[in-house]
Amino acid sequence: MSKENRKSISATLATATCALLGNAMTLPVQAQEEPDWDFNTSFLYYGEDADRVQDLSVSVLARRTFYDDKFLTLGLTVDSLTGATPNGGIHQGVAQTFTTASGNNVYTAPANTQPLDSEFLDTRVALSGSWQQPLGRLSQFNVGVSASKEYDYLHLGVNAKISRDFNQRNTTVSAGLAFSADSIDAVGGAPVPLTSMRDVGDLSNRLGEQDKDVVDVVLGVTQVISKNLLVQLNYSYSDSSGYLNDPYKIVSLVDGVTGDVVPRIPTPGVDGPSHEYVFESRPDQRTKHSVYGQAKYYMSGKVLDASYRYMTDDWDIDSHTVDLRYRWPMGDSRYIEPHLRFYTQTDANFYQVGIADGAPLPAYASNDYRLGNFDAITVGLKYGWTTKNGNDMSTRLEFYQQSGSIPADKLIGNQVGQVQYPDLNAIIFQFSYRFGG
Amino acid sequence: MKNIVLLILLLAVTLLNVGCSSMGVEPWDRDVLAKAEMQLTTDPLEAATDDHIYFSKEASSGGRGFGGGGCGCN
Repeated sequence: MSKENRKSISATLATATCALLGNAMTLPVQAQEEPDWDFNTSFLYYGEDADRVQDLSVSVLARRTFYDDKFLTLGLTVDSLTGATPNGGIHQGVAQTFTTASGNNVYTAPANTQPLDSEFLDTRVALSGSWQQPLGRLSQFNVGVSASKEYDYLHLGVNAKISRDFNQRNTTVSAGLAFSADSIDAVGGAPVPLTSMRDVGDLSNRLGEQDKDVVDVVLGVTQVISKNLLVQLNYSYSDSSGYLNDPYKIVSLVDGVTGDVVPRIPTPGVDGPSHEYVFESRPDQRTKHSVYGQAKYYMSGKVLDASYRYMTDDWDIDSHTVDLRYRWPMGDSRYIEPHLRFYTQTDANFYQVGIADGAPLPAYASNDYRLGNFDAITVGLKYGWTTKNGNDMSTRLEFYQQSGSIPADKLIGNQVGQVQYPDLNAIIFQFSYRFGG
Repeated sequence: MKNIVLLILLLAVTLLNVGCSSMGVEPWDRDVLAKAEMQLTTDPLEAATDDHIYFSKEASSGGRGFGGGGCGCN
């Protein structure tokens, strides 16, 4: 090695040492998280039986940590939806023909089946961003934006949340506010509620773009009870106003005695619906209140996560949700987590299977199964492990089942003997990978 | 109705605050509470996925956080 080379090596070492020392001098005294990115990614398959909705979804949640406990979080989700969805029509002993949402064609549901609209096909892209930072020594502040786009739907939202610690940081009180302004640009135009499903090519009862605004308020208290127990209690208020219909759902006009859907006199030379159907109608305002409680309990390595939610709204829907997860470690780097969820809801006061023909039309009517009276259960198992590089992976498989029932006084004549609320069965499979940080 | 709900809420928060001041742990007893699996939301993507699925298939939403939405599925 030449003298010059030795000189340049010692000079480089000296520079490096100074740089290290210099950096060490400027490092903050307090131990803090190093500024870095970490990423949560997931792949999801959601599939319903009987050729109903299938969803393939990819999500990324990236979080950048800064000094002073500041965080930037960015999210992206892309959903690809296909399959068929119930159109609101009822089971009949005969085949039924419907005009498509676009008004360009017809489709036929075979006899004795739940009528499904198979034109359901959509891609959804959702973006979110939020910024979190301390506000003084005991408070945190978080602001965020969200946007999502589907073929017929645009969502834009903003939200903010503030929280403050009390009682040696054993109690945290938080308040959040979110506002969203959505617009619905239904395929073929949003139909005027309670007007008839028309022949192919007749879009005279369709409206232009519709709007929906939602205001959400969440107030919460989180309390450390003991070294092993943490609880949270939230109250939420949500107010939706504007166009709250599902533009693709119909209600059948039925005979007041037999309960069968009234046949329609066809227009010569034009395809159109075989029976009389009207588009559903919901109130243009909805207020929901909910109370949510969650507890996390640590038992020598195992963690029980239990939550309960009660919701009530001014459409007379009441619901109860119980969610239980039990994380069970298997050695240092693996765990399994069984999951059970129970849900039950009462029906909306305007939920009805069909509208009796001849009587005056009600102001509101919908046969959307999601506004009906049903119970649901989810049973799942998650398996998670940490890789050699210290990254987290997990996979979960869950089964979801909805079983509905319709009160006897809402069924007429032959409707009693038919399955008007078939079970919904779905599989949820998710693979997650967390790295960086 | 709204006023009653607000009143109950205020009362609950006040009582909780008074009651909670005697609960809790010392800062040096927080090793278990600091674990990742003891956070209220351990997997934010899984939580968001579940919220979205159930929002699409049921008439309820929110509770843990904001009511959600932002899709034409409900």
